[in-house]
Amino acid sequence: MNTKPLPRITPDSKPFWDACKAHRLMLPTCLDCAKPHLPPGPVCPFCFSDALRWREASGRGIISTWTVVHQPWFAAFKDDLPYNVVQIELEEGPRLTASIIGAEALRVGLAVRVTFEDVSDSITLPRFRLEIE
Amino acid sequence: MPSISNQTAIAGIGQSEYGRNLPDSQLKLGARALKAALDDAGLQREDIDGLSIHMGWPLGLDYDRVAEAYGLNTRWAAQTWLHGRFVTSALQQAAMAVACGLANVVACVTAISFTRERQILGGPGDHEGSREDGGTHGESPSYGLTAPAGGAAIAMQRYMAMYGATSEQLAAVPIAFRKHALLSPYATMKKPLTLADHQRARMVVDPLRLFDCCLVTDGAAVAIVTTMERARDMKKKPIPIAGMQGMRSGRDEFIFAPPNLGINQQPAHSRRFTAADNEVFAMAGVGLPDIDGLYTYDAFSPLILFVLERFGYCGPGDAAEWVQNGRIELGGELPMNTSGGLLSEAHVGGWNSILEMVRQLRGEVGPRQIPNAKHLQFSTCWGDSVILGNAL
Repeated sequence: MNTKPLPRITPDSKPFWDACKAHRLMLPTCLDCAKPHLPPGPVCPFCFSDALRWREASGRGIISTWTVVHQPWFAAFKDDLPYNVVQIELEEGPRLTASIIGAEALRVGLAVRVTFEDVSDSITLPRFRLEIE
Repeated sequence: MPSISNQTAIAGIGQSEYGRNLPDSQLKLGARALKAALDDAGLQREDIDGLSIHMGWPLGLDYDRVAEAYGLNTRWAAQTWLHGRFVTSALQQAAMAVACGLANVVACVTAISFTRERQILGGPGDHEGSREDGGTHGESPSYGLTAPAGGAAIAMQRYMAMYGATSEQLAAVPIAFRKHALLSPYATMKKPLTLADHQRARMVVDPLRLFDCCLVTDGAAVAIVTTMERARDMKKKPIPIAGMQGMRSGRDEFIFAPPNLGINQQPAHSRRFTAADNEVFAMAGVGLPDIDGLYTYDAFSPLILFVLERFGYCGPGDAAEWVQNGRIELGGELPMNTSGGLLSEAHVGGWNSILEMVRQLRGEVGPRQIPNAKHLQFSTCWGDSVILGNAL
């Protein structure tokens, strides 16, 4: 299998991926306690409310952790080795796993901004770039 | 309801050989381990009426195939699937089953041929890591993050950034366990490991180098659990299960991090944990100073740092320094994984360490013996634990 795996979409996460396709980062947000959450769930994990609404995120955040993969686990990623994977703590609070485009050295706390990469006809992945300091 | 503390015991243990690319099926390895355990306890096959299977399909054996293949006739079974996280869960279920009378004698069976199934450990063959909401170690295959190692790496990377821990400090863990493995006749790794070896080894997933990642091996281990009352009539000295607690889960948790480290959705506000946070100590009637040795599921070396913090042996951020200077080695303040663990003895789903605990408490391990071992603890950074005692 030489194509990169795509995210598997659920009824709960479909609005997230639909928004990515439109190059917007949206978070399920609770109308009762006002907290956004990830990964997208069926109810608010903080107050168990069913009243969720999708709201656009600022797209800004910081690197909360990172790694660089050296192991050729996927044939489809072989040409990318070594490649980074990060977790981003969004300004709104929830964290998202993604990767950084064009970064030399990563560290926890660096400010980033979302960008979007259309990887197939139906899937767009959020990725991030370092904010220019 | 009376406490289950010291009401149940491990009455017999057995194992197959451990190693890489063993020619035998995992079912055959399991049969060898079960025969050895029955002999150790002085029991017959017909005495087994319950099965607790730690690593079931798609990695190990399923309870019904085990019963069918070995000609058992069981009336109770529990089974967890491929994960290492269920070591004490399988042991605890066996203890609860015999305490409640659902079975008299339960065989806890773990038999795995990892070297034949290694594609499960990452990449396209890691179906579990490719599930809809992502894997349980933070796997995110669309970004190329796969394998349990990836989860340990992102946790350790943040831990290093927060507390200034280094790869050189982390090396103390695999170096200690290699020393222990050199004293175990069952160990896969036969040569000493130096700091230079550790630092020279290839990076797998930053900051984890090769020797921070456990072995991929084949083998089987069986522990026979029964009530303390029945165990007293068996061949060997029973090893009582003194205390137990279950694994923790919730938004404060990430499987391969201490609570609140800030991985996935964990709030980032670490605090010092104490024995009071861990009811296993109260159930066993002991405190931290009474624990003579600690055992953990050492799939990756950071997990040793994290379990020490979770159970209050040291404070948040202190573990990388705490493990230096032989503290977790035999002869140190808190020997850990004294047969070499998954990092250097073998990956038998953690049960090689359970067997080692029993042998230690029986005083059977010669050069590896912890003097006067009275209480040994198995715990993980995801919060489960069992304390085994030394029956008088």
